[in-house]
Amino acid sequence: MNIKVENLALFGKTKNIERMIDDLMDCISNGAMIFETGINTYLDGVEDGRCDDLVHQIRDLEVEGNRLRREIEGHLYTDMLIPDSRGDVLSLLEDINYLLGLAEDIFLAITVESPMIDDEFRADFKLLTTAAVKTIESAVLAARAFFRNITAVRDHLGKVSFHEEEADQIAVRLKRKIFASDQSLEKKLHKRYFVDKLDRLADEAEDVGDWLAIYSIKRSL
Amino acid sequence: MEITVLIFLTSGLFLGWSLGANDAANVFGTAVASRMIQFTTAAIICTVFLILGAVISGAGAAHGLGALGKLNALPGAFMAAFSAALTVYWMTKAGLPVSTTQAIVGAIIGWNFFSSSITDLSALTKILATWVACPILGAIFGALIYKLVMVTLSKSRIHLLRLDGYTRLGLILAGAFGSYSLGANNIGNVMGVFVSSSPFSDFSIAGLFTLTSIQQLFLLGAIAIGVGVFTYSKRVMMTVGDGILPLTPVGAWVVVISHSIVLFLFSSITLEHFLASNGLPTIPLIPVSSSQAVVGAVIGIGLLKGGKGIKWRALGNIASGWVTTPIIASIVCFVMLFFLQNVFNQVVYHEVRYVLSEPVLNHLERSGVTVAELTPLKDREITGGVPFRDAVREVQPRLPGELEEKILDAAEIYPISISDDKLMSIDADYLSPEQIGALDNLVGLSLLHKWQLYDTLSRKSGAWRKLENNKLNKPFNKHLDEQLNYVYGLFHQEERGAKS
Repeated sequence: MNIKVENLALFGKTKNIERMIDDLMDCISNGAMIFETGINTYLDGVEDGRCDDLVHQIRDLEVEGNRLRREIEGHLYTDMLIPDSRGDVLSLLEDINYLLGLAEDIFLAITVESPMIDDEFRADFKLLTTAAVKTIESAVLAARAFFRNITAVRDHLGKVSFHEEEADQIAVRLKRKIFASDQSLEKKLHKRYFVDKLDRLADEAEDVGDWLAIYSIKRSL
Repeated sequence: MEITVLIFLTSGLFLGWSLGANDAANVFGTAVASRMIQFTTAAIICTVFLILGAVISGAGAAHGLGALGKLNALPGAFMAAFSAALTVYWMTKAGLPVSTTQAIVGAIIGWNFFSSSITDLSALTKILATWVACPILGAIFGALIYKLVMVTLSKSRIHLLRLDGYTRLGLILAGAFGSYSLGANNIGNVMGVFVSSSPFSDFSIAGLFTLTSIQQLFLLGAIAIGVGVFTYSKRVMMTVGDGILPLTPVGAWVVVISHSIVLFLFSSITLEHFLASNGLPTIPLIPVSSSQAVVGAVIGIGLLKGGKGIKWRALGNIASGWVTTPIIASIVCFVMLFFLQNVFNQVVYHEVRYVLSEPVLNHLERSGVTVAELTPLKDREITGGVPFRDAVREVQPRLPGELEEKILDAAEIYPISISDDKLMSIDADYLSPEQIGALDNLVGLSLLHKWQLYDTLSRKSGAWRKLENNKLNKPFNKHLDEQLNYVYGLFHQEERGAKS
């Protein structure tokens, strides 16, 4: 009879939580991709309800992410698992799940407020979105590595910083361009508002990365 | 069954309680302090395996007795056990991990001073050597294993949660094994001295298996140890696991494993015999203490990490506890013996007499001792080991310690009388039929010294003959020594009438 360690009752629960953590990470990285597609769809001016579909998709992922996070937290506490890094893991999961909520908020705000993005700014808006999404994806990879391969966390965190820096530069460039244009002030401010929001997404992802660096040091001590 | 035996038994139970409250912390301290195992879970596992170890494996070595078995009067043994227990209790109250064995050795030294007996130098060396060797060995193993585990873990990419599961399982298994060994090795010290006066009789459980009186006695002792674990060990556990250096769960496991390896490698006669019989170089056997190995392993990990996290003050307190434990135990024992003897009129020791008679001198000459200088002492009966040794030193001042010990052993008067009724009560499971047969032939024989019985027996039967003294034969000779001690004790006669 072939009995795998995973099938033993002792590790059954552990395996289930491992799977839930992986699922949560999948939710966030899928959400980030949908967010990017959604923003691009809006910028390209597709008007057939596609954006609303994507908003629904990202919202479903956020709900699923919240459910998974709560369930993982419950298990970690009730089963008294990983006593020394429990607090760190819970903060990490909450912080990284917050990124998905933030992305959903931004996308929803764009579809509700429908800012006017002219052709001259479109490419930079897309670049900014891509940089912010890459920051999130690198943070998710770093978080995955935190659980399985602690030495790889550093490499991913390097990418998080790189993409966040990139997002900052694009945001500054874009804001200069917006305020140098001859549009009315309210239009300028409206666009600046969304530039800041997208840039904040990258900043928040970098914060997750900074905390993750500390958690990793604690784990390797 | 005298009531006094029951009173004396309480000191054994107190000692058992102290052992549980202190020594058990070595096995589960790091696991509990790193919150990997709850205190209650640890206490339950520890108690169950302590009891199993004491009853299953402890009883097997019952005839070897514990260190306290050297004390020749029950009230004296009671007081030594009580002093040791009291000392360990104080140390436990201070949250310091100490070794119960060292407290016992300290108490025996106190008894030796009181009874003018000679303190076994190897016992003193044992204490001093463990202070130095054990923490160092523990630290080396702790650091090496920690490094190895960390490298392996970084390559194996185990999920954090899976690693948590493995570590927990590892801590439970190592803790259970450690508790089993603790029970098996230390029950002799707790209850060994009461074996000959066990108030229990054998009984069978549902006809399936029988609990001998010794096993019942050891069960009682093990329960006392268990009560100690439950009621008082948490504080020492926190000192061991968190007081010196906060440990990660993997670090906690490394500490438990390093301590087990140190104990196994440097105290296992089985391993030495295995290496010697395969023509491999043996590891020198040195006395080891689990408390010191655990503390050493924690320091080893701390130093590997750069030594910043180590709380040196806590470490200083622990080390001072190691030094003071045997000293306090010996002083307490000495003072208490004085009261027990003079206020309560109890016989706390039987005087040991020495004589260098013609047969003793001949025996010594045969075993390579120059006896010419000893003739002034011939046929002079001297009471007490220390006065006799002083007398020997007077006539032969520069005698090596080894020869001095030989003279003391040979000259000790220990009347032995082989009688039928005592032969009937012999433990047939412990001695071979050939050994019992050899004793059977000696019925009616009275002797004055232990070596005379050995000489007679070894002439009569090969089963009583020691093998050449080398590493390969060490376990056999050690076992034979234990059997001989059992036989000496069994046929020992208190009255002075025996003649050789």
